[in-house]
Amino acid sequence: MGVTGAGGYLGGAVASLLREKGHDVVEYRRNASEDDNGSPVRGLQLDAPIGPDVFEGLHSLVLAAWDLSETNGAKSWERNVEGSKRIVSAARAAGVSRIVFVSSMSAYYGTHQNYGLMKLAVERAVLEIGGVVVRPGLVYGGTPGGMTLTLSRLARLPVIPVFRGANLFTAHVDDVVGAVATLAADREVASAVVGLANPVPVPFKEIMRAIGDAVGSSAKTIDIPWRPLLLLLQTLEKVGVPLPVRSDSLLGLVRPASDVPGLDVAASLGLAFRPFPDGLDESFEVS
Amino acid sequence: MKVLIIGAGPAAAGAALALSGDPDVDIRVIDVGGRLEADNDAARLRMAAAAPTEWSSSDVRIVSESAHRTEGNPLPEKRNFGSDFPFHDFGQLEGVSGEGGVNTHVVSGAYGGFTNTWGAQTMVYSAASFDDWPFPRSELEADYRAVLSQIPYAGEQDDLAEYHPLWGDAEHLPSLSENAVRILDAYRRHRVQVRRRGVIVGRARLALRASACVKCGLCMTGCPYSYVYSASQTFDQLIADKKITYEGGYLALRLGESDGGAFVEARNLATGAVETLRADKIFVACGAIGTTRLVASSLDMFSEPIHFQESVQFVMPFVSIRATSALTQDDSFTLNQFNMLLPFDEAGKDLVQIHGYPYNDAMDDAIPQILKTPAMRRIRAMVLKRVTVGLGYLPSWWSPGFDLTLERPASSGDLAPLSIGHSALDSGQSSKRLRQVNGRLVRVAPFLGVAPVLPMVSLSAPGKSYHFGGSFPHATKPSGRESDTLGRVEAWRSIHLVDASVFPTVSATTFTLTIMANAHRIARRVLEDRHG
Repeated sequence: MGVTGAGGYLGGAVASLLREKGHDVVEYRRNASEDDNGSPVRGLQLDAPIGPDVFEGLHSLVLAAWDLSETNGAKSWERNVEGSKRIVSAARAAGVSRIVFVSSMSAYYGTHQNYGLMKLAVERAVLEIGGVVVRPGLVYGGTPGGMTLTLSRLARLPVIPVFRGANLFTAHVDDVVGAVATLAADREVASAVVGLANPVPVPFKEIMRAIGDAVGSSAKTIDIPWRPLLLLLQTLEKVGVPLPVRSDSLLGLVRPASDVPGLDVAASLGLAFRPFPDGLDESFEVS
Repeated sequence: MKVLIIGAGPAAAGAALALSGDPDVDIRVIDVGGRLEADNDAARLRMAAAAPTEWSSSDVRIVSESAHRTEGNPLPEKRNFGSDFPFHDFGQLEGVSGEGGVNTHVVSGAYGGFTNTWGAQTMVYSAASFDDWPFPRSELEADYRAVLSQIPYAGEQDDLAEYHPLWGDAEHLPSLSENAVRILDAYRRHRVQVRRRGVIVGRARLALRASACVKCGLCMTGCPYSYVYSASQTFDQLIADKKITYEGGYLALRLGESDGGAFVEARNLATGAVETLRADKIFVACGAIGTTRLVASSLDMFSEPIHFQESVQFVMPFVSIRATSALTQDDSFTLNQFNMLLPFDEAGKDLVQIHGYPYNDAMDDAIPQILKTPAMRRIRAMVLKRVTVGLGYLPSWWSPGFDLTLERPASSGDLAPLSIGHSALDSGQSSKRLRQVNGRLVRVAPFLGVAPVLPMVSLSAPGKSYHFGGSFPHATKPSGRESDTLGRVEAWRSIHLVDASVFPTVSATTFTLTIMANAHRIARRVLEDRHG
């Protein structure tokens, strides 16, 4: 089995779990090297040509690679969407029979978020060749990364900003990693979009309070009108001011998906997602 | 096994391609067989034998006659090599009438059918288009690929492949028009903004021998070199390879089954005599309305409205901010250049498509009379240099469709009189959906540099899209006026309907390729069943 983006938060955890389960795992990172166990790591970049033998011998491939460093929309599209599509096409041509694409709950029809739109475009390419798309919710637990890391930083501010009406689907990282590993290993699962999240949405205010508690903050929450904030962030981005939170990330928080897709598929595979904030404290104890 | 195919259009071609792979199948094709007039054909052949620089102006004048306006329709009727033979009544339109401006030129008697004059747009249906069908797209994939391997095919891998995969080996498209290139470049630069507003843009997919194209500009009035696919090319090849027997000059009147086989009573158009032709299997491919008239009259389905699902067409002129450098169709290819795809759901079922056409001489003919005066010459040129014509389609479930009613013929040697009228089932969705389409296109206009001319956007009359069918839709457990997945209505076991009459729905994606693929699938399955 192969895992792209194995140097990242989710990709690395998926590769480790698959290996623990006894699978022969090939990790793909930006540069060829060796992993912590001395196993070879194959180099694979989203915006570089793909060698002819890169996917040789694989029957499953988990696509977890994504580059968030590019802020220009057109360039980010070229790198992430076109790059991912090239990988999908090359993997298919190499005979990889199961492709699992790690998308996001931000990817849904009608999303206005750049990140969600880009993930949605890759989803289409994966579904067209019979692959499986997983959409993790807001992932928490383990070593904080991604959006949870950003939120934990916000929770340490003197006042914690929250947005009224924002409700998010959450998922513990162990549940997500376990689900991705299951889907990668089970070649009988039909092509589908599967949401990896507890089906009960959690108000953003509740999430921030729980994270605040976990990081030892007693700061009060304050409701922020998100539209003026979004406009402010967008304006600052246009003039090139570096920001700790992107306007696109804010959009993902305040206009989330309305439901979790593929609950029937998840249930049929016995995939379960603990309710928030179960398991949150451990992650910050570790950090 | 003796097989009879009725018709020589794309559905017939799809079935013939599948059947001709089995040497034990004796294939006979009968057809009305209307042909291009001799003078026009002679001009076409002279041009095909020479380079465009050597063409005589009289030949070019003969074959490049533009489209003709028809009453009540914003889009004129095309001409092919200067002829109306794809629409001409060779007997097949006998007794056809329409009310309220509906299109009545709905059955082609031409050898090759309407593919003599189509836009050559060749695109696989989205997977979700099959949600209301009794089988998934995967069951058709091998047939799509088989058909694509037998016809000329050009296209590019782009964003459209997210819904419409580019199966098979497509040639690269010829270089596109200035306006099309600008729109596609603008889309690449502003892709996120455009897609956020619900529009995807990609290049055309065409049944075109692109590598040979000399860009003579005559695509819309007929390619003198036959580089644009017509089903007649498939039949010409099968005849030359002695894989089929073809007989033109037959008008099918009645179908039936007896003695374990099937028969068709057909009028010999040369003698007027009605002949009975028998076969083990009959594949009916007269086009959705021709087939429906034949089947329904054979089964005494008179005086009851038969609903047709149509992917209604709309005409959408666009105006660009920037003008093209020259106003000519010379040295260009003038088929569809780019497509706009407007998804209205996540899975890709509720898709609206718009095909963008560059300048061609028919547009010049179609502009308002006032702009044709010498005094308005510069304004006319200024307008035309900025115009791109979009032909759009809504899916059948958002379209009015139309009803067809047959009356009992006066005698057994006549076709059943057929009237086409507006449908009682029209939910009125089309106008609302068209407004939503307009809204999206207005919102993306600043990014694409091209805006719809909203006052000129109009829905075409019923039947004008030529994307209609569904009178005997496939069903898993067919009843009433449904067919099984092999295109058989309940009364028959050896007669297979293979054209769009069996489509459960008509997606907004241009559908000729899917017609061919589905006909190929039915024929392939019949052969497989025969071999156990």
